[in-house]
Amino acid sequence: MSTQQHLDDHIIARYTAQPTRLPAELRRQIEHAWQGAPVQLYALADLDQGLRLTEAWLALGPRHVAVAKRTDDGAWDLRIIDRAQIQAIREAPGLSANTLTLLGAPGEPALALLRYTHRQRRAFENIRFVLEEQLAGHIRHLADVDADRLYAESVARPIRDAQALVSGRQTAVIRRLLGYLKPYRRQLTLGMAAATVITLVSLVPPYLAGHLIDRVVRPAQAGALSLARAATIAWLAVAAMALVYLVRQPAVHIRLRLMSIIGEWVARDLRAELYEHIQRLSLAFFSRKRTGSLITRVSADTDRLWDFLAFGVVDVSLSLVMLVGLGTVLLTLDWRLGLVMTLPVPVFCWLIYRHSEEITRLFIRAWRKWSRVTDVLSDTIPGIRVVKAFNQEQREIGRFAERNEDVTAEFNRIHASWTKFWPLLMLGVHAMTVAVWVFAVPRLLGHGAQLPVGTFVSFLLYTTMFSAPIEVIGQMARTINRATTSAHRVFEVLDTEPEIRDVPEPIRLEPVHGRVTFEHVTFGYDGVRQVLRGVSFDAAPGELIGLVGPSGGGKTTIVNLIARFYDVSGGTIRVDGIDIRRLDTGHYRRQIGMVLQDPYLFHGTVLENIRYGLPEAPLSQVVAAAQAANAHDFITKLQHGYDTVVGERGHTLSGGERQRVSIARAILHDPRILILDEATSSVDTETEREIQQALERLVAGRTVFAIAHRLSTLRKASRLFVIEDGRLVEHGTHAELLATPDGKYRHLYELQLQLQ
Amino acid sequence: MTLALATHATRTLTLEWRADGSLWAVRGEVERPVSVRRCFPWTEPTRHLSLRDADEEEFAFVRDPADLDARSRAALEMALAVAGFVFEVTRVLEIDEEVEIRHWRVETRQGPRTFQTRLDDWPRGLPQGGLLIRDLAGDLYHLSRPEALDRSSRDLLWAFVD
Repeated sequence: MSTQQHLDDHIIARYTAQPTRLPAELRRQIEHAWQGAPVQLYALADLDQGLRLTEAWLALGPRHVAVAKRTDDGAWDLRIIDRAQIQAIREAPGLSANTLTLLGAPGEPALALLRYTHRQRRAFENIRFVLEEQLAGHIRHLADVDADRLYAESVARPIRDAQALVSGRQTAVIRRLLGYLKPYRRQLTLGMAAATVITLVSLVPPYLAGHLIDRVVRPAQAGALSLARAATIAWLAVAAMALVYLVRQPAVHIRLRLMSIIGEWVARDLRAELYEHIQRLSLAFFSRKRTGSLITRVSADTDRLWDFLAFGVVDVSLSLVMLVGLGTVLLTLDWRLGLVMTLPVPVFCWLIYRHSEEITRLFIRAWRKWSRVTDVLSDTIPGIRVVKAFNQEQREIGRFAERNEDVTAEFNRIHASWTKFWPLLMLGVHAMTVAVWVFAVPRLLGHGAQLPVGTFVSFLLYTTMFSAPIEVIGQMARTINRATTSAHRVFEVLDTEPEIRDVPEPIRLEPVHGRVTFEHVTFGYDGVRQVLRGVSFDAAPGELIGLVGPSGGGKTTIVNLIARFYDVSGGTIRVDGIDIRRLDTGHYRRQIGMVLQDPYLFHGTVLENIRYGLPEAPLSQVVAAAQAANAHDFITKLQHGYDTVVGERGHTLSGGERQRVSIARAILHDPRILILDEATSSVDTETEREIQQALERLVAGRTVFAIAHRLSTLRKASRLFVIEDGRLVEHGTHAELLATPDGKYRHLYELQLQLQ
Repeated sequence: MTLALATHATRTLTLEWRADGSLWAVRGEVERPVSVRRCFPWTEPTRHLSLRDADEEEFAFVRDPADLDARSRAALEMALAVAGFVFEVTRVLEIDEEVEIRHWRVETRQGPRTFQTRLDDWPRGLPQGGLLIRDLAGDLYHLSRPEALDRSSRDLLWAFVD
């Protein structure tokens, strides 16, 4: 079983309380009823006709489908339907209940009617897709499909995509995180040693104070010790005290400095590893994860891990050492008073833990209300023109004021909670001190076991040292939870394998001529639903191929496969006769240029953006590329010329200007294979003319695949491919296709002419 | 300016469930299996209903089911029960925060259920009162009167209710 499926099974079992797969006994019954034919796909229908939760299954085989419902006695009521009987499939979506109906002959009762929640929808869609393909006359062979994997993936995917699930065990994550400290073992040992010194020497001054009173001051006052001898010992004690602080403060310096530096190094290593790994990941990963979430992982999460490694680890471990040390010293000095002071400590830790839980609950409420405040901001600031146009300023001010009041009340509730808790806790600590007095005073006055005054003073001094470690231990669960959450998020990215990988000893095509051949290429993003269905063509070097057809037909998928952003599910793509999976991907992609509908410029100067693919290109070539792209004129009119900073995503330039800069970038890059994806669709007519001129210069001598909805822009294409429903349904020159009666291209072209 | 609602005449529309398990809409000579979409599932769930055919084209628009004959109205109500189905939460047993998701364990009128939401996906307050929660798969959970739930459920929900 693959790691992925193991993870999906784990998600289903842990989060959904539904079977991780088709029950084995039921599967045996179904396959027996099908004369041994295998179950190829299955889905759980989790609602009955009365819309109550239930367990029923729909299974698909090569020639049959089976519907199984549990009877009251726990057995399975199995119905077998011949796939040939199915004449129509109907799906009725609802808010949370979907209905799939398999229909036979018109007017006849439905062959099967199943209800299911959205959680099961993907699994049902897989089955529905195969059956609809059958009805459309396309037989979809599923011999290589793993039914268990597809079912588990379809159910677990929404959770898997939302959550960074790397390891369920917190300890394993912490251990892995601590592994990043290994390269800095020497500095870590020194930092921990310094922290240990700080903890231990902190225990010395109260002990010295007690010792001085009992062994020096009182004997001297009672005349049992000579004044000269007492003075010598007292000065030695003072010197020892000074030495303690002289040792302690440098140790504090070493600890703070080393641990914060180590934390920074580890955060740097994590950021670098993470960013490098992200660059290697395939596009499929980026389509699953939100950009904001990935940025947070590289920035905020690594920062939080720095905090944990630099201070959390040391604080928590040393607080434990400190509490154990304090307890040991106090019980050794006087076990009765020691018990008075140590017994309440677990109670204090528990109280702090409970308080942090309460604060978390308050924060959830406050964050919810805070999100309502930010909702107003993110709505109205980008949409300020609409607000003003509809004269809704006062309403928006009122909406914001109400939510602002609301969130302030919640934050004040948080302040009310902690400002009440901490004084009460300190009252508890002081009560402990009073308890020490209550137990100590009679003994100091001679009742009960003897208690030296110095020992009592030491106790009082030790009392003040309890609160800080108690606080850290009380917050420990939260500190560790926060750190492991960030670690999960970081490790999830690091553990994701790139789906596109080079074979051992990949081939470098030098030079690339640019012949692109598709041989029966099929492709599906999820393994079942095919986006491309057996596409074959051969594009000669230097040809301009126009890809046209309705949206969702598969045009963009074709160019994504040419750029090897994904690998084909079936068939082969060859470049100059070589399967692209055998090519060195990095070298191959350097031969590919792309001009997209929404050109992406990086924050930097115009010069840096044009030189993005070729950072060492001479300035004269940059200007030549910009001239060829019809960009030189507008660039020179900018105040800083080619050194103008274009801002984030090039927002200081217009859409047409950004497009021309991106064309200049592609011209300078000089690719052998060029992809134009709706390069002129979002600009005005004049700008389109300029871009069109630029593109004509760009495409010369290259193999070009151009996607365009405006068919007039592709009139000069060598050939046009009409892609519909994942198939190449027509191909030929513009004139040839227009001459085809009832042709798809001709129909599209005429529709566009009518609109003009 | 008064805007006129573009509707097909409801009086000529009849609805019925047929043996194939589908709701059929019949208008004169034309008949089609349809599914029901509420235009305002939370503001006005029983009126303004769009009847859509298999191609998701609107076949008829029912402004008020009272305009239909009694049999059609009964058929429509059955369809509405399925189309408008959401889980009705009767008790909240656990709300737990995990890495990036919030895990809910609840009892519903339909049976016990566990589901997950994103940490930043908050329950939505409904215009007629009550809360609506959408899980990661898109299923909806309705709490019609959170204040009427048992004490433990109310405590767990406290952070999510105004």
